[in-house]
Amino acid sequence: MTLLVGRRVLLVEDESLVAMLAEDMLVDLGCEVVVAMRLDKALALARNKVFDLAVLDVNLGDARSYPIADLLFEHRTPFLFATGYGRQGLEEAYKAVPVLQKPYQAALLEHLLTRLLTGEAQARKVSGGGSMPCPCLGPDGQTFRADHCP
Amino acid sequence: MLNSRQPLQSIAAASTPLVSLRRGDSQLFETERRLNAVLNNASVSIFLMDDRQHCIYMNRAAEQLTGWTLDEVLARDCPLHDIVHHTYPDGRPFPLEECAIDRAFPENNQERGEEVFVHKDGHFFPVGFTASPIRDDATNIIGTIIEVRDISEEKAAAERQRLLINELNHRVKNTLATVQSIAAQTFRGQTDQTARSVFDARMAALSTAHNVLVEDNWESANLRSVIERALAPHLLAEVDLNRFQLQGPDARLHPKVAVTLAMALHELMTNAAKYGALSVPEGQVVLTWSLHDLEDNRQQLDLRWEECGGPVVTSPTRKGFGSRLIERQLPMEFDGSGEITYAPAGVICELQIPLTTLGWVGQETVEGRQAL
Repeated sequence: MTLLVGRRVLLVEDESLVAMLAEDMLVDLGCEVVVAMRLDKALALARNKVFDLAVLDVNLGDARSYPIADLLFEHRTPFLFATGYGRQGLEEAYKAVPVLQKPYQAALLEHLLTRLLTGEAQARKVSGGGSMPCPCLGPDGQTFRADHCP
Repeated sequence: MLNSRQPLQSIAAASTPLVSLRRGDSQLFETERRLNAVLNNASVSIFLMDDRQHCIYMNRAAEQLTGWTLDEVLARDCPLHDIVHHTYPDGRPFPLEECAIDRAFPENNQERGEEVFVHKDGHFFPVGFTASPIRDDATNIIGTIIEVRDISEEKAAAERQRLLINELNHRVKNTLATVQSIAAQTFRGQTDQTARSVFDARMAALSTAHNVLVEDNWESANLRSVIERALAPHLLAEVDLNRFQLQGPDARLHPKVAVTLAMALHELMTNAAKYGALSVPEGQVVLTWSLHDLEDNRQQLDLRWEECGGPVVTSPTRKGFGSRLIERQLPMEFDGSGEITYAPAGVICELQIPLTTLGWVGQETVEGRQAL
């Protein structure tokens, strides 16, 4: 069991089939998932509900998900972007946000989400921050690696 | 004919009387100066032709475009066509009689089009032109004014876009085929054949939906094509009209709607073939749809799938991919609704899909239609 069990996750993904996949992955990780596929619905959820984490697709049809990101920043909700374009596809102001390069992979998703939850502890432990190898802290301080996950 | 009206004269000839006018009529001089300022600062090339198609005036942009100066053109004393338009790009001579720009004169109307001009240094370049007749006081046509733009960059951009779309088509189809191959290799001997064939059929449905998008450069898809392709048994077959009754107007669908709708129809068809009306020879599916206007200028597609003549239907014990896609994802994706009813006489599925406005991100801004 990991830190992710029981976490409320907002998943914003605009393609039906891709949303199903990401939702299943998050459910398998033990998360409680709320899916939004349109910008207006996602904004309403981000404004009115409390989430532990969020996963945002960048391109939502004709819109981008940045306004949702802004709300999450405001609420200090940790989140990541999931996009096929990778980090270079992000607008400058959002380049510090972790990126999951699509296609979704369960192990990578788990790794990034866990790191979002333990980010503060990690920032204290690792001096300088920046690019580092990817060990992250488990629930009881133990280190585990994403690629060891089933 | 030529003698019946006052022909246009070249500027060289016309400038003599203007000298006297400068003394007597400062207003006319001022007008001429303004006109020259306009013409010589315009980025579009302007040619003034007499009734013999000789160029009697060209502005600075026209000199830059063709490589010829007005003095050189006047000295040639021949139709402008023979100076800048004399040869087809394939090297054949281009006689004046075949010239669309020339026809604007006798045909007495505005003529627009694209042609390929020859520069003074011999290279060809594509141009867009508008040719309009000039009339005298008695409305006789006495010449032509031709506006010309170099459209090399537009042509190059269009060609780049064509290449990109070809590459996109190729990549998408290739990626789908690659995924299919990876699945085949990965699950060889590990999964039962049924799962494999369900997977292959879904990949094929996805690929077919993309074919429809390719036909309109990924901008939209034709609703009827999406339906007919989704219901056809395979790529080379037509939809079996003995089994399907299709009735509804055509519409253009946003690519996202097209793909999700195609996948939903594929799932309904697969279910019907396995358990429903299409599992017996006499069963039929009636597919009807209509469009109606929503308040915000958009349209909504109402689509009804109704099976009849099949075995008695019982509700499934487990909801699978198809019902999840139709009843949950599709409504969320398009802010619509999707409902499957397991009526004893046959499965009924009703979809309501508000249609996304067609176009690309930023189109309204670029075309100046954005609401302020």
